[in-house]
Amino acid sequence: MDRRTFLKIVGMGSVSMAVGCTPDPYNAPRPEKHLFSLIHAPEDMVTGRASWYATTCRECPAGCGMLAGNREGRVIKVEGNPLHPVNRGKLCMRGQASLQGIFNPDRIRSPLLKSEGGWRTISYAEAERLLLEKTAQAAGSGDNRVRMVTEVVGDTLLQLCTDSLAQWKSAPPLVFEPFAYESLKTANELAFGVKGLASYRLEEADLLVAFGADFLETWLSPVEYARKFKQMHALRDGRKGRFIFISPYESLTGTNADLWLDCRPGSEAIVLLGLIREALKRGRPTGFSRKLRYQLQNSASAYNKEKVSQLSGISIQDFERVAEALRRASRPLVLGTGLGNGGPNSLQTNVAVNLLNVILDPDLSLFDFEQRHRVEVAASLAEVKQTFRKLQDAPPDLLLLNNVNPVFSLADGGKIEEIIQNPAIFTVSFSNFMDETSAKADLVFPVRLALESWDEYSGKQAMVSTLQPAMGRLTEAPMLGDLLLRAAGGEKKPTGGYKGHLVARMLSRGDISGELDWLKAVQHGGIHQPPAPKRYKGRAGGPTAEKIQELFSALEKPQSSDLVFAAAPSLRFFDGRGANRPWLCEIPDPITRVAWQTPVLMHPDTLKQHGLNHGASIQIKTDRGELSAPVYQTHSVRPGMLVMGIGQGHTAYGRYAEGMGKNPLRLLPPDTDPRTGGPRFFTGEVQLAKSVHKVKLASTDGSRSQQGRKIALTIGLDSLEDLKKRKLSGLTMSDFPLVLPLPEGYDSKRDFYKPHDHVGYRWAMVVDMDRCIGCGACAAGCYAENNIGLVGEKRVAQGREMAWLSVERYEDQGDAKKLIFLPLMCQHCDNAPCESVCPVYAPHHNKEGMNNQIYNRCIGTRYCSQNCPYKVRRFNWFSWKWPEPLELQLNPNVTVRAKGVMEKCSFCVQRIKDAHNKSKNEDRKIRDGEIIPACVQTCPTEALSFGNLMDPNSRVRKLAADPRAYQIMGYLNTKPAVFYMKKVTQQV
Amino acid sequence: MEILILTIALTVLAIATAILAFRYRSWLSGNRGPLLLSAAAVFFVLAFLVLFYRTPGTDIGVEQPIPFSHRVHAGVKNIQCRYCHPYVDYSNNPGLPPVEKCLHCHNYIIANHPWIKEEHRYYNTRTPTPWRKANYLAEHVLFNHQRHIRRNLACKECHGQVERMDRIRGKYFYMQFCIQCHRRLNANLGCWLACHS
Repeated sequence: MDRRTFLKIVGMGSVSMAVGCTPDPYNAPRPEKHLFSLIHAPEDMVTGRASWYATTCRECPAGCGMLAGNREGRVIKVEGNPLHPVNRGKLCMRGQASLQGIFNPDRIRSPLLKSEGGWRTISYAEAERLLLEKTAQAAGSGDNRVRMVTEVVGDTLLQLCTDSLAQWKSAPPLVFEPFAYESLKTANELAFGVKGLASYRLEEADLLVAFGADFLETWLSPVEYARKFKQMHALRDGRKGRFIFISPYESLTGTNADLWLDCRPGSEAIVLLGLIREALKRGRPTGFSRKLRYQLQNSASAYNKEKVSQLSGISIQDFERVAEALRRASRPLVLGTGLGNGGPNSLQTNVAVNLLNVILDPDLSLFDFEQRHRVEVAASLAEVKQTFRKLQDAPPDLLLLNNVNPVFSLADGGKIEEIIQNPAIFTVSFSNFMDETSAKADLVFPVRLALESWDEYSGKQAMVSTLQPAMGRLTEAPMLGDLLLRAAGGEKKPTGGYKGHLVARMLSRGDISGELDWLKAVQHGGIHQPPAPKRYKGRAGGPTAEKIQELFSALEKPQSSDLVFAAAPSLRFFDGRGANRPWLCEIPDPITRVAWQTPVLMHPDTLKQHGLNHGASIQIKTDRGELSAPVYQTHSVRPGMLVMGIGQGHTAYGRYAEGMGKNPLRLLPPDTDPRTGGPRFFTGEVQLAKSVHKVKLASTDGSRSQQGRKIALTIGLDSLEDLKKRKLSGLTMSDFPLVLPLPEGYDSKRDFYKPHDHVGYRWAMVVDMDRCIGCGACAAGCYAENNIGLVGEKRVAQGREMAWLSVERYEDQGDAKKLIFLPLMCQHCDNAPCESVCPVYAPHHNKEGMNNQIYNRCIGTRYCSQNCPYKVRRFNWFSWKWPEPLELQLNPNVTVRAKGVMEKCSFCVQRIKDAHNKSKNEDRKIRDGEIIPACVQTCPTEALSFGNLMDPNSRVRKLAADPRAYQIMGYLNTKPAVFYMKKVTQQV
Repeated sequence: MEILILTIALTVLAIATAILAFRYRSWLSGNRGPLLLSAAAVFFVLAFLVLFYRTPGTDIGVEQPIPFSHRVHAGVKNIQCRYCHPYVDYSNNPGLPPVEKCLHCHNYIIANHPWIKEEHRYYNTRTPTPWRKANYLAEHVLFNHQRHIRRNLACKECHGQVERMDRIRGKYFYMQFCIQCHRRLNANLGCWLACHS
C-alpha cells in the first residue's frame, strides 16, 4: 500500500468513526416517540408499579394459587399465592413459564378454518356463527351427535359443558388427561372403597417409602408435596425424616432419597409383598378381618427375603434395611407408583402399598380423603380409547376438543389422528396453539387462556380456588364458558355471561353468601378455609379376600429381557404441553443438565455392553416404531434400562417445540392395562443400534465431579456434633473458615485489598442444600424476573447459556448414584476477583456489598468471567431476540442487555431498590425478610434466604453462624456473600 | 409572527443586495465582486441560521396532536401538576391524564372548541391520544419520580418553568445532569442502587 492510499483509508476511517459515534440523541433511533394516554384510568393501575391479581395456575391439574403481577396492562411475572393452601406462595418452573403461554409468539390470534388450500383466517364472529350453526344442526339431527373431549377443568366449567351437551342431546364430555393415575385410583377403590386420589400428609411422616411416585416432579401436586416432603425431611433439632425410594430409575425424587434401591421394573409389588410379610409377622392388630389377614399372609408367604431379592434384584441386606426402617418408624407412609410407572403389576403395587399402609397405621392418619386431588375426574385411558373407538364406529357430526392433544400424548396417537380427520366429523379445537391435534381439526377456535379468564379451578375438593383475568387481552378470543353459554344457554342465559354464571353457581352452592364474599374470594384467589379434617373411618367396600388372592396370584414375572425402555414424565414439559415454552427448554433438566434435548438415560454397564459412549446417537426400535436420540450415561438408572423423558418430539406446536427431541411415547405399546385401564409406559423387546444421526448434547455441566474442589459439601447426620467442635482457620483446601464479607472478616495477614465499608446493609444469601431438591424453579423465576436471553439449542451446545442462576449437579465421589444439587449464582464476593481485573471498572462493589455490573461501562473484554472462580458471569455474544409478543413479558425494571456486554446475578437489585423506596417513605430501616429475590420467592422448599448481614438478628446472619455453613471454595479467600449449608446425609 | 417578519425582511434584503450589485456591476470589477459575494453569502447564511435556530419562539417543543398549553393550564389557571400527573409521589412514573380527565372540565369549559371536539373523538372512539414525548431519558435508566418529589424537589428543578411554556420544551437528560445534582445534595451515587439495574 502506498502512502496516499494509507492516508485515504485512515482519513475515511476516522471520518466514519466520528460520524458513527456522534452523540445525536434526537436523531438516534428511539423505539418510542409517543406517550399514549388511556381513555379511562383503571382504579388499580398505577403506571410504574405492578398490581397483583390472585388467580390459579392451570399448567397442570394440581391447581396452585398464583399472583400475577401486572405492569401497564401486561402480566410480567407470576408468583405463588402465599394464602393458597396448595402451594403456599411457591411455584414450580412450569408455573413460572405460564407467562410464555400467553405471550407465545406462536399463539393463534384468530380462528382458523380448514379449507381447500390449507388454513383460512376467519373472524371470531364468523367462527362463533359457524359453531352455533353446527351445534344447532347436530342437535337437530338426533341424539349424541356432539361429542366433547376436554382437559381437566374446574367443576363449574365441567358442569357447564355437561349442561350444554345435554342441550344438544348428547352425552357428558370426556375428561382427558394423559397422566390420569388409573392404577392408583383403581387401587384406592379396591383397598379403601374410594375411587379417587387421596392427598397425603407427608409432613407428618417420619419415614417415607415411595415405589416410584415422583412427587417432586409431576406426581399429583409437586409444589405441595415438595414443601411437605422438606417439612419432614429437612434437618431440624438434629434429626431428619427418612426417605427410601424403590424404582428402576432414580428420577429427581429418587436423588433426594436417603436410599435408592433399583429394583427390576415390575418387581415393586414383590418387594411390597415381602414387606407385608415382614410386617404381618409382628402380629400387631391390622384392622383387617381375620379372613383377609389370613389371605394376605397366605399371598405374601412365598415372598421371603431370598425370593424377593432374587426376583427384584435388590440385595437381601437392602431389603432388610427397608423392613427394619419400617419396623422402627413411628409414622411411616408408603407411596405407590409414579406416572411413568404404568408398568407391569402396577395395580398390585398400589394395592399392596395401600394394604401395607393399613397394616402400619390402621387409622390411615396420613391419608386425607377429604382433600382429594381434582385430577381424579379424568377418565382412564381405556375409557378414552373406547370413546374414540365409538367416534370411529359411529361418527358424530361435531367433535369439540378443549385444549387436549391426544395425538401427541397417546402411544397410538396416529389412530386418533385418523379419527379426527374423518371428513364426516366436524372437529373444533379450542386451542391457542397449532398442536398435533389442532392441526388435524377442521376449525381451530382459540379461547382465552387461564390468565385472561374468569373461572374456578380447585385442585382439591374441600376448597375453592378462583381465576380472574390478570391482564388486557392480546386477542379477541372469547372465554370458553361464554361461548358455551351463547351456543347452548337457551332462554335462561345468566346476566354477565360466564362470570355471572360462576358467581351465581358459587352463591347457589353456598361457597359465597353475597357480593362482598365474592370480591374477597377474588382478592384472595379463592376461599381457603379447609373444613376440619375428618379421619378416615371404616373400610366399607374394602378388599375382599378373594380379590386379594386373585390379584396377587396373577403377579406377572418382572421384566426379564435385557433391555427395558421406559418413558418418564418430565419435570420440565409435564406431558408435552410445556415444550413450546422456551424457558422450559432452555433451563436444563436437573439430572442430565441437558437443555433443549431429551437424551436417553442409560447405565454405564449397559453402554459398555453395547459398545456405546456417552453422547453417542442411538437408534431404539420396538415393534411399534423407532427413534434416534443421544445417549446420556448415568448411574441413575438400573442396568438394562433405557429411560427417556416425555414431552419433546412434537411435529407441530410452534417454533420452540417442533422438531426438538423425540417422542418416546411412539415406542410404547398402545394397549391398556386390563386391570386399571391405564397406559403402559414400559416396554421390553427393545432393539438398540448405533445411529447415523449425530447430535451434540446441549449440556451445561462442565463436569460431574467436583474434582475435589470443595464446591458442594455434605455432612453425615451423625457427624454434625463434630462439626460444631471443629475450628477452622487455615487457607488450604482441607481447612478453610467461613469468612464474613464484612470489615470484621478482614485480616491484614491474609488480605491484599482493604475491606469494604458498607453503609447500613450488606446483602447476603444463604442456600440450605439440605433443603434444595434441585427442581430448578429458582432458575425459572430468575429468567422471568431478569429478562435473561434465550440462546437456543445450538448456542447452549457452544456453552453460551445465559442463566444467572443454574442448579449445578454433582455426583458423589464415592457413590455416583447419589447426586447433590447446588444452586449457583453470583457470589457477590467481598474480595471479588472480577472487580480487580476489569480495565473499565464495569464490575464494581457498591456500598451495600453487592457486586454491580455496569452494562454501559462494559466493553466486553471478558477478563472478569475468566477470573471468576465460580463461572457465574455470562457474556452476551449476540443481542438476543424476543419474538413478538414475547417481549411484552420483559420486566421494565430491568435493563435488557445487548450484544458485547457481560451480565450476572444482581441479587434482584430492582427488588432491593423497591424495598429501599418503601422504607424511605416510611422512614425506617428495611426489615429482615422484606426483600425477596425472585429465586428465594419461588423456592418450593424454602432452601434460599436473603437478608442483611450487618443486622446481627437477621436470618442470614444467624444461618451464617450455623456450623453447616461454608463458602464455596472458601480457600480462595474471595469472601463470598452467598453461604451454603452442607447437605445432611444419613444412612437408612 | 416575528419569524415571518424577519424572514421577509431578510429575503427583501437579499433581493435588494442582488439588484444593487447588478446596477453597480462596473464598480464591482476586479476582486471587489468576489469579496462582496463571499461576504454577502456568509452574512445571509449566518442570518438564516440564526433565524432558524436562535430566534425566540423557534425552540418551543414538539407539536402535540392536540395543542394543549401547559402555560394556560399550569400558569394562567394555576392547576397543580399533580392533578394531571397523579402518581408522581407514589410511583416511578408521574402518569399521564386519561382522556376522561380532560373532559371532566372540558365538558363545561369551551366544550365546543374544535380541539375539544377532537378530544371527544378520541374519547368516543376509545383511541389513546398519541402525545409526543418531550423529555427523553435513556432506557436503561430507571428514574424514580417518587423519591425526588418526596425529597421536596420542585418539578421545575428538572422540567423548567412549565407554566410559561405552551408546548413543553423537552430535554434529553444526560447522566451529567443527574450526577451534578446528586453530588451537590449528597444523594445516592451507587450505580445500581440509584438509577441503573
